[in-house]
Order: sequence, then structure tokens, then C-alpha cells
Amino acid sequence: MKILGISAHYHDAAAALLVDGLPVAAVQEERLSRQKNDPAFPLRAIEWCLDHARIDPSELDAAIFYERPALKFDRVLMTLLRAFPHSWRVFPQAMKNMVGEKLWIRGIIHAHLDLPVSRIYFTDHHLAHAAAAFLTAPTENAAILTADGVGEWATLTVGRGSKTVGGASHIELLREVRFPHSLGLFYSAFTAYLGFRVNEGEYKVMGLAAYGTPRWAAEVRRILTRTPDGAFALNLDYFEYHRSVDSTYSRQFLDLFGPPRDRFEPIDLATPQGQHYADVAASAQAVLEEVIVDVASTLRKETGLSDLCMGGGVALNGVANARILQKAGFERLFVPSAPGDAGCALGAALYADRILFGQPHRDCPDHPFWGPAVEPEGLARLASEDGLPCDRLSGSQLIDQVVEAVAQGSVVGWMEGAAEFGPRALGHRSILADPGDAVMRDRLNRDIKFRETFRPFAPVVPAEHADRYFELPPGGRRLGRFMSGVFSVRPEWRERLRAVTHVDGTARVQILEQDMAPRLHALLTAYGRRQGIPILLNTSFNLAGDPIVTSVEEGYSTFRRGGIDLLVADNALLRRQQARQQQPMEEVA
Amino acid sequence: MKPITGHGWSNPLYRLVWADPHRRARKLLQFAEVEAEGARDLFRAAETMRDPGLRRRLFAHARDEVRHAGLFRTRGLALRRTLANPGAAKGLGDGLIAGERGFDKLEVEKESVTSLLAFIHLSERAAAKAFAAYGAVLDFDPDTRAVITQVARDEEGHMRYSHAELARLAPGSANRALWAARFRRLWRAYLRLALILADMIAHVFLTLFYFLLVGPFALIAKHASRRETRGWHVCTQRPRDGGGGQY
Repeated sequence: MKILGISAHYHDAAAALLVDGLPVAAVQEERLSRQKNDPAFPLRAIEWCLDHARIDPSELDAAIFYERPALKFDRVLMTLLRAFPHSWRVFPQAMKNMVGEKLWIRGIIHAHLDLPVSRIYFTDHHLAHAAAAFLTAPTENAAILTADGVGEWATLTVGRGSKTVGGASHIELLREVRFPHSLGLFYSAFTAYLGFRVNEGEYKVMGLAAYGTPRWAAEVRRILTRTPDGAFALNLDYFEYHRSVDSTYSRQFLDLFGPPRDRFEPIDLATPQGQHYADVAASAQAVLEEVIVDVASTLRKETGLSDLCMGGGVALNGVANARILQKAGFERLFVPSAPGDAGCALGAALYADRILFGQPHRDCPDHPFWGPAVEPEGLARLASEDGLPCDRLSGSQLIDQVVEAVAQGSVVGWMEGAAEFGPRALGHRSILADPGDAVMRDRLNRDIKFRETFRPFAPVVPAEHADRYFELPPGGRRLGRFMSGVFSVRPEWRERLRAVTHVDGTARVQILEQDMAPRLHALLTAYGRRQGIPILLNTSFNLAGDPIVTSVEEGYSTFRRGGIDLLVADNALLRRQQARQQQPMEEVA
Repeated sequence: MKPITGHGWSNPLYRLVWADPHRRARKLLQFAEVEAEGARDLFRAAETMRDPGLRRRLFAHARDEVRHAGLFRTRGLALRRTLANPGAAKGLGDGLIAGERGFDKLEVEKESVTSLLAFIHLSERAAAKAFAAYGAVLDFDPDTRAVITQVARDEEGHMRYSHAELARLAPGSANRALWAARFRRLWRAYLRLALILADMIAHVFLTLFYFLLVGPFALIAKHASRRETRGWHVCTQRPRDGGGGQY
């Protein structure tokens, strides 16, 4: 069967294509439209998926959307009615938004793909998250936990799944917490309060939290309370998202935590005000962890299963994930490479195949590389047109040269094969650098990524060496496969891993198995031979505000714009040093 | 090509607009965002451009826009810091006029080279005019004036190179491309106005609808919500869904 999964219209739209039960293509719309977190109907992504598999839309057996639009409308309308008359300002906006476009998904898909409406399906938002987490994970029986801002009504679900190769797959969601009580929206309110963009800046809150102490935790527990049945509820007096267009928190929230951060001013952690914001971030993070660890612990006891699959935007919180792994009693924790809404495109397609159509289960390849591939000829062409020498090297030559350059302090733009599906650069669209130099971290933040100084960078380490440098709990290796967990750097290595060790001694490490990215693995091994530590700093190949690069043209452009010294696209290599010496760069306009 | 000067007749209006330091800071920060957005469009145009010479120029132009964004942002923030109450730090709103919109959501991949260049030329021309006019009324704020004057000068340069490239790449059809771009800008302006009007009308009707018709349903919804418990809910089962209903 050929099944197209689609997610769109909230944030981070994506498309994924399944052929005979296996993914063949998946890409976020932003990677093709070049609009960060592009929520638009993912026409480019759909076209690319179909072209890549050489499939005409008419050949599709099904297209499935990642949520139920009418049920979502029901929630929006009911929320507005309940907030009457305070919802009068948000009502026209919400109605235009829903009735204008989001309610007519079947028609939109039909219009774009010319697919009969009988072949267009929908699934629950959290079922799509659950399917993305469970059906891609190498486990046969697992508990499932999904948590995000909101889907239709559910904001958090728990359940269980089972599957066997060649047999049937089952996903059973046992219970859910419903809107407006939401861990994702709770965290987003703090994201907005701390002056970051909601749905984009949540990971900055997590990074900032490491600089603070949770001295506001008692206040945060007043707004995120526990219910007698072990779930949680938000005290809605402190929030506005259910009745306001432009605000997520209320006046009471400000009475509790003080004035919000001015988004135009940088956070200065040396000032009492800056420290206050770090403390608030730490408090929100601590309370989020308490709740989600408790929910996961209960699920562990209830199901008796040793594996947990997590999905939803909250599963991007690597600190919370690591806490769950350490405290909740599960032996392994699986978080897919795209646990957020983009991943729902793949989840919905897998759900349709395995559950709706009852197709036998097939293990999905355990890697995130489902996007467009690099074409090194493109780099050679661009370089030759700009008069730059572009070397085409053998595998070992390339690795030797890159290792030498990084050891000399160069920053490398590394593009290889198919692009990652999900928000993390996992070795195919990465910026790589020396992990030992704190100056390197500052240089990357200031000159290349143009981002806040408090944000940490991640390391990548071969799996066989990970335990030597990082304090990994049992199951930590698996969680680190897609960079989904934050673990302590062993104290004896922190000095030599300064660029990737966060202020609290932790790192969001990617633990690389050789079979997932053999060339990067070879590079790390060679770097270890040269420098003594087989670890590189690995950050996404993009500049602030841009999506991660997809094509070689975007890689080349980013290489020219940022202070990247070396650009690698498969076996093609370009150096900035030579570029500076040999080519007059851009002419003045 | 004629040198760009400020609009004499509109100077009093601009003087009034720029006199208020709050608005001045807000506008500079808005310009920073527009320039940064324009830079992204131009980098994208450079990435998709096959002609190497034009690619380099678009790239240089994009870098200028990045520099402008930095200049506007730095000056806007400096001005903002002098204000006792700088105002809400939420969205900056729109309220931009023609020369201030940059490339106005240009979809570079969909443009031919000639239409792209014509569009850039006209956008830069409008920006150069607007900034020249603003510079002329900012004698009371020399720091802001210096930034605006510098940007206006650069925009003139962009206007000239885009025209020169248009003449080089489409010698026989440059004028036609420019006229087509003018009509498109006019059409976009009309669409923007029409959308604003439609939005306002819809807003008024929906607000009326809300207050006149929604009340009784709201009472029922509120009543129903009082019976709802907090905490866990059993997930809805859809045995007859058949897979994939919208509800």
C-alpha cells in the first residue's frame, strides 16, 4: 500500500510517504519552503515525497491527516463558549481561522492531490503521536506516553502498544488529560513570559533553566496542581491562552513572578533580573519534571512493561526525558527523531497502514534520514562558477583533512546523504567543531549561529565510547540515539569538553551507532586517534532564524554567510581560507 | 536614473510621525525585522539563481540587508532604552507603508529572473524614496538620521544594480518587466486593502454574532463544563469510525 501522511496548520507542517509498510520519504515543509516552522499545508513536502518515490498522487491508496479537524473545531468552539463573554476578542479571530481553512482539510487534500475523498482519512492527533513513537521503535511491547500543547481535546495520553513482525499491531490509549490542562501550554506560557517565541523557544527555557535554582517551585506548583487521581490541572486564573489572541499568561501570573522579560533585551545572567528569569525557568522545568516523572512511574506500575515510547512536543525536553529514564522505572525510553507535530505525518501514515488497514507489521529502519539527499556535483558547480577550488576526495582523504582542520580549530559544515526528519541535526546536516575549547562555543554562538550566549552545544560520540565520557543510566544509549536525553559529563572530562558541557555539567549528547551514520562515525574515530577524545561538537547546520539546510545550495550560502571554515558535501570539500585568498568575494552592489 | 529625494509635500506628516520617540523606536525595530526578512528572501534568491554574476550581487545585496537590520536594531534599541516606559514587548504590529515593506512576502522560487529583478528594483526604489524623506525630517535626532541616510544611500545602490542587471539579462524586455512589476505591486496593494476590509467586515459580523446569538449556547456550555471533572478522562473509543472520520 502507498500511504501519504500529512501534518499541517498548527506549526511545523510535514509529509511522509509509506510504501508497503515502510517509510520511503519524510520531510518538514520548512526544509523546502525555507520558512522556519512553516505551518502551511505542505505542498512542497508532498510533491517531494511523491517525486522521490516516483508515485503519481492517483496511485496513493490513502492520504491521512494527523488530526480530526471537526473535533478540533468542537474544542475551539466549546472553549470560546465557556469563556463567554471574556472570549469576545478571540472569537472572531478563531472563527476566521477555523472556518476559513482549517476545517476543510478533506477538500484541501482532494483539491491538491485529486484523490477521491473516500481515500482521505483522519486520525486522532495523539494517536498519530503514539504511532510515530511506538511503531518506529525497535520494541514489541511498550507503554506509550504522549504530551504536547493540545491536539483535538487531549493534551496528554497514556497507553500501551504491541506488535510483532509479520503480525498485527495494536495501540490502546487508556486515558487522557484534556484541554485546557496541558503541560505543553504550561511550558509555553513560561516561554512567552521569558521573552521567547512560543512553539520555538521552549528549548531555550530548558537551556536557561540550568543557570537557575528552582526557588519559585512552590509558586509554580500553585499553578500546576496535582489531581487526586494522579493527573494534573492548571489553575486557569494564571493563564489567558484559552480566551486571548495575543497572551498566554494572565495578570495574576505577573503578580506572582513579576514583569515579563523584554524580548528586545538580552538576558544578562550577572544581573539580579537575569538570575530571576533563570530561576523562574528552573522552577518551571523542575515542576514539569515532577509531574511527568510521576505520570510515567504510575504507567510503569500499571502496565508492568519495561519499555516506554514517548511522543509529542514535550518529548523534546531532553532533561525531562533523562529524569523519566532514571526515575520512572523503565529500562528503555524511545523518543523518535521527530516527536513533535511534524513526526505526526509519519505516525499517521503508520497508523493507517498497521491499524486502519491491518497490514502486518514491518520493522522500520532505525534512522532519521528520510529527507532530500545532497548532490555534491552542485557544490562543485557553485564553487567553480565562483572560482573557488572544490576538492573531490576519497573517503579516507576527506576524513583526514577534516580531522586535521577541526584539530586546528576550524568549524566544518557537514552535509551527507539524506536530510534528517525532525528538529535535530544528527550528522547529515551538522556544523562540527572541536568540543574542548570554550572559545569555540562563544565563537559559534556569536559569529556563526548568531544566538544567545547562554545556550549550550551538543556533543556527538561513538556509542562504544559514550560511557567513558558521560554518566549514562541504563537505557541512556538508546535515548541518546536521536539526541533526546541530557546526561552528565563525567567530571574528569568536563575541562576537556568545555564547549559542549553546559553550566550544570550536563550535555545533550548524540550517541552514534556506526550503522546509523558510518562516515561520521569514522570521522569521530579518526578525530579520537588524532586528539585523544572521539567527540565532536555537533550543532544544526543553519543560522539563527533559518531552518536547517537541505540542499547543497543552502549549505553553500550558509557557509558564505557564517564564519564556517570548511564545507563538506558527501565527497566534495571547500575551504574558506582558500576562498579568501583566491577569489574576490561578492561585488559591492 | 534620477537621484532620489524626499517628498517635499509629505515632510510635515513624516516630521509628525517621527517626532514621537516611542513610535520612532518601534518603527526602527520594525524596519530591522523587515530588512532581516528581506535578507532571507535575497539569500534564497541567490541560492536558486543560475547566473553566477547575478548570484554574487544578490548575495551582496542580502548581506547589506543583514547589515541594515543590525543598524536599525541597534539604533532602535538604543532609543528604546532612553524611554521611561518603552511599551509592550509583544508583536510590533504592521502599519507599514509601501516603501517600508521590503519584498513583501516575495516567493522567489516562483519568479522569473526578470520579474524578480523588476520587483527588487521597484521595492528598492520605493525604500530609497521613503528613507530619503525620513532622513530629511530627522534633523532633531542626528543618530537616527545617520542610520536612515546610510540605508537610503545603499538602497539607491541596490536600485541601480537591479536595473543594470535587468538591462543586461533582458535587454529587450526590461521596460515591460518593470511595468508588469508595477501592476503586480498595485494589485498586491489592492489585495491587501481588500483583505483588510474583508477582515474588518468579518470581524464586525462575527462580534455581533457573538453577542447576539452565542449567549444561550454559552450558558449551556458553561453548565455542562461544571459537571466535567479535572484529571484523567477515558479516551474516546470510535468503534464505528471505520478509520478516519473528521469527528
